Amino acid sequence: MRGIGLNIPKVDALDKVLGTSMYGEDFSFSNLLHLKVVRSRIPHAKVVGIETGEALKVTGVERIFTAKDIPGNNRIGVIQKDQPVLVSDRVRRVGDPIALVAAKTIEGAEEACEKVKVIYEELPFVKTPEEALRPFAPPIHEKGNLLIEFNLIKGDIQVGFKEAEIIIEKTYTTTWVDHAYLEPDGGVAFWDEKGRLTVICPTQNVHYDQREVASLLNLPIEKVRIIQPTTGGAFGGRLDVTVQCFLALAAFHLKRPVRLLYTHEEVFQVISKRHPLKIHYRSGARKDGRLVAVEVDILGDTGAYASYGTTVAVRSAIHATGPYEVPHVKIRSRMAYTNNPWSGAMRGFGVPQIAFAHESQMDLLAQALKMDPLEIRKINALQVGGETATGQLLRASVGIRKTLREIERWRNKISLSKFDPERPFLRRGIGIGSMWYGIGNTGIANPSTAQIELSPKGEIKLYIGVADIGQGSDTALLQIASEALAVEIKEIQLIRADTSNTTDAGSTSASRQTYITGNAILKAIENLKKEVLKEASFLLHEEEGDLFVEEGFVKHRQKFCIALPIQEVARRTGRTIRGEGYFDPETTKLDPKTGQGSPYATYAFATHLAEVEVDIETGKVRVLRVIATHDVGRAIHPKNVIGQIIGGVAMGVGFALMEEYIPGQTISFLNYLIPTSKDVPEVIPILVEDQEPSGPFGAKGVGEPALIPSAPAILNAIADAIGERIYHLPAKLERVLEAVQKSKSD
Amino acid sequence: MIPTFEYKVPRTLTEACDLLWQYGDRAKVIAGGTDLVISLRNGLIKPELLIDITHLPELRRIEERNDSVSIGGSVTHSEIVSSLIVQTYGRILSEASSQVGSPQIRNLGTLGGNIVNASPAADTVPPLMVLEAKAKILSKEGEKEIPVSSLFRGPYQSALQPHEILVSISFKKLGQDMKGSLIRLARREGMAISRMSIAVILQKKGDLIEDIRISIGAVTPIPNRMKEAESLLKHQRYDTDLLKMASEKVSSEMILQTGIRASTPYKKPVVEALVERAIRRAFGDTQ
Ligand SMILES: Cc1cc2nc3c(=O)[nH]c(=O)nc-3n(C[C@H](O)[C@H](O)[C@H](O)COP(=O)(O)OP(=O)(O)OC[C@H]3O[C@@H](n4cnc5c(N)ncnc54)[C@H](O)[C@@H]3O)c2cc1C
Repeated sequence: MRGIGLNIPKVDALDKVLGTSMYGEDFSFSNLLHLKVVRSRIPHAKVVGIETGEALKVTGVERIFTAKDIPGNNRIGVIQKDQPVLVSDRVRRVGDPIALVAAKTIEGAEEACEKVKVIYEELPFVKTPEEALRPFAPPIHEKGNLLIEFNLIKGDIQVGFKEAEIIIEKTYTTTWVDHAYLEPDGGVAFWDEKGRLTVICPTQNVHYDQREVASLLNLPIEKVRIIQPTTGGAFGGRLDVTVQCFLALAAFHLKRPVRLLYTHEEVFQVISKRHPLKIHYRSGARKDGRLVAVEVDILGDTGAYASYGTTVAVRSAIHATGPYEVPHVKIRSRMAYTNNPWSGAMRGFGVPQIAFAHESQMDLLAQALKMDPLEIRKINALQVGGETATGQLLRASVGIRKTLREIERWRNKISLSKFDPERPFLRRGIGIGSMWYGIGNTGIANPSTAQIELSPKGEIKLYIGVADIGQGSDTALLQIASEALAVEIKEIQLIRADTSNTTDAGSTSASRQTYITGNAILKAIENLKKEVLKEASFLLHEEEGDLFVEEGFVKHRQKFCIALPIQEVARRTGRTIRGEGYFDPETTKLDPKTGQGSPYATYAFATHLAEVEVDIETGKVRVLRVIATHDVGRAIHPKNVIGQIIGGVAMGVGFALMEEYIPGQTISFLNYLIPTSKDVPEVIPILVEDQEPSGPFGAKGVGEPALIPSAPAILNAIADAIGERIYHLPAKLERVLEAVQKSKSD
Repeated sequence: MIPTFEYKVPRTLTEACDLLWQYGDRAKVIAGGTDLVISLRNGLIKPELLIDITHLPELRRIEERNDSVSIGGSVTHSEIVSSLIVQTYGRILSEASSQVGSPQIRNLGTLGGNIVNASPAADTVPPLMVLEAKAKILSKEGEKEIPVSSLFRGPYQSALQPHEILVSISFKKLGQDMKGSLIRLARREGMAISRMSIAVILQKKGDLIEDIRISIGAVTPIPNRMKEAESLLKHQRYDTDLLKMASEKVSSEMILQTGIRASTPYKKPVVEALVERAIRRAFGDTQ
């Protein structure tokens, strides 16, 4: 193996260490104008008038744009197009964009923003999804406040509960969580020398952005170019449009370069959040621990706009059973519009929330049945030949049992004492959390494409539309290409995430790029090799059928003296040889009534074990250690996989213990707390490689799975430590103390 | 955006006082700037002039003088943490400084800034309260020495006049029989504003509490000594029931000052538990 499984330096590492990477805000022009967005300060109102007269008088102000200046479609959205780029008639949340100021200085733009007068007619606003769905609730969009209701039905739930000898029924809630990426959104836009309106800014999907910008400006798609620069994190927050449309609109009209940089405060206020879910969960099991029935009702708050609300509703429902085989399942999952901050994609699309619920349920069942929490998971865990809640037969790469076995080995070694004689106010506990995660988009085509070229100069170029948001797809995908071509990575030039040079790879989300684009690259290389053989057959006057490519050389089946480097073939023919690849994972559409089908081609599995220490007098929780086992299929770059896992645990600690976006209160990192290096526990990552036959060299995905089991494990560990369970995230000081008090009074 | 201002770096204290006298409330003293710059950026203050006091030697020293220790107003938290003098004679203060923000903040932020910013959650204040620290204040009008406890008017409101400079802080060296303990609670381990802090200094004689000083931070609008709890414990035999009664005195005092709030059901039992814990630690009842 040349590249696979090797911990080569990340290809972007050197630039980052040297500080030479170019982020969105690093692009500069001498004559650029600065943009600032005027935003709504109230959650729900009719916009009766927008007065820009005073603002236009501010020195340096060039122009102020409103919805009237949009030549094309003023509606964007990844799934449902329900979000205006600039509001024309109605604001639906605090932070809704109303006008866009272009000025010579940032100060001027800021001052003008203050002077734009918006005249509102306030409307009653909807604060909770329950309220939103009541009859006569103020409608937030014309079609009403229910974005989606998704149902998943397998077996007969009544039969299931009849068979159950123990039933556990609980309600769990989670709240808004911010992605907390460190690089604020920002970028530039300009008309390039070829007459293309070009936008450079962080994103997770350049081709989606291109379509939105083209539609906004009524431009032919090829007249819009989106380039993703080095990006400082995303976690789903950059799947929706952020600054793209503002930049494009201003540059379109002004015909000169513009720049827009959000402040951290703005990022916190205007970028989507993790969906708060309310999960009512009922599970039934037999005395031997076998799950027989799972009934779940999920209600989510998508806020003012749809974004990925549908995806989260569906994905959380599909994953609601956890990685377990359950014969009778009934799930209803709804998402409602409110006038709260809009929720969107965030690492896991609802699965982190639902995993908190299903793993709490597993522990509650184990407790009621006086079983070992590991045992009950082993009894129910999916395996090859097993069937998921959507009726999908799992054919390979189901590593959940292996992760449980690894955790068991570790648990046997742990000697954590519940009490500390020196500090009687401490309690310690351990907890387990498992998860499964479907790789790729849910039950829809989500292909990727790639091209590979050999130029007459002997260069090798790989073209992919993939946005590397820091997670390391550039490196992993180059490793895949290098392995398949049998050439060194440094010989391959990577051209990526630029709509003018690459084709659609879909988004960097759903843990899909290694698996899907990895496969597209393999296809491209396969096709390239065919082309090379065709050319070589001409050059060498040999039958094409006698030739084959091995280790980067064209060889002959009988004539062993023939060994022509593939680059040499291109050089000699004097033409560029090209291979194109396409891959779309094998999925089926889900039945609209029952949700049955095969939504994903493959699943990742994981189990974490957390050790925690709780101060029962203050409610302070310290996570001491997390043992994280992940079935990733095959680790293309083990260090990067481990990096994802450790980062996932860090984020999981935040989700479990402290992260909470409070509308109207949260300002920025000032009062939105994420774990610091001092809060992140020791992490012991363990890779279980149950290879996926359809994956590139057996790989699946790990980006989101890394996060998902941490919070459930931590919450189960807290319950173990204090003898009382917490049903609402985050488990902040007050909630933990309340649980301690409850356990004492019980 | 930060508005424009003039920036001056006086070379002598007199020069600094003159500038302050001249500009009055149109000027602001800047030390580490870790509080001030945030207020500038948020538009809370718009000074014409910033006077950088970090180059004045009188404000940069930590000194041992017979029975007391003096710390210059512009001494940083990092410097306090690494000072042997403070570690030896006022350990509770070096512990407090070690818990401020992050290494970057501790390298910039100063003791004077922490006091004059007058945040109810300022970490060095409860230790200074129990150390019975004094502040040396200088202005064109002259020099005075007043208790640190008299420097607070309300949350983020210092009693210092705009033209005054906090030159140094001093406190009596703690005797061998005086033990301090500091407990700090925050929502995370680093870079977190204190949710509650308890500072205790206790003088022990056998199983008697000879003397005790208690101050709590972050839960009252301005720093206070918990006098009722102190007098309950003073000259008494160390005893868990008594500890409990004293801790209840503290929580009552807290509620008296803030009224019942949404956070009271949490804070009351926690402040009681932590006061007891801090006293136990100071007494050497190792827990
Ligand atoms: C990220 C972050 C984390 C933080 N964490 C903590 C924490 O954990 N605990 C904590 O207590 N604080 C914390 N702070 C607040 C701050 O760092 C401290 O209060 C620090 O001690 C302030 O000192 P400074 O020198 O930076 O003050 P400056 O910002 O320079 O000044 C603050 C105020 O004091 C005045 N002033 C300063 N020195 C003098 C003087 N000698 N005479 C007269 N007036 C003076 C200034 O005019 C100004 O009004 C944090 C701040 C940040 C930004």
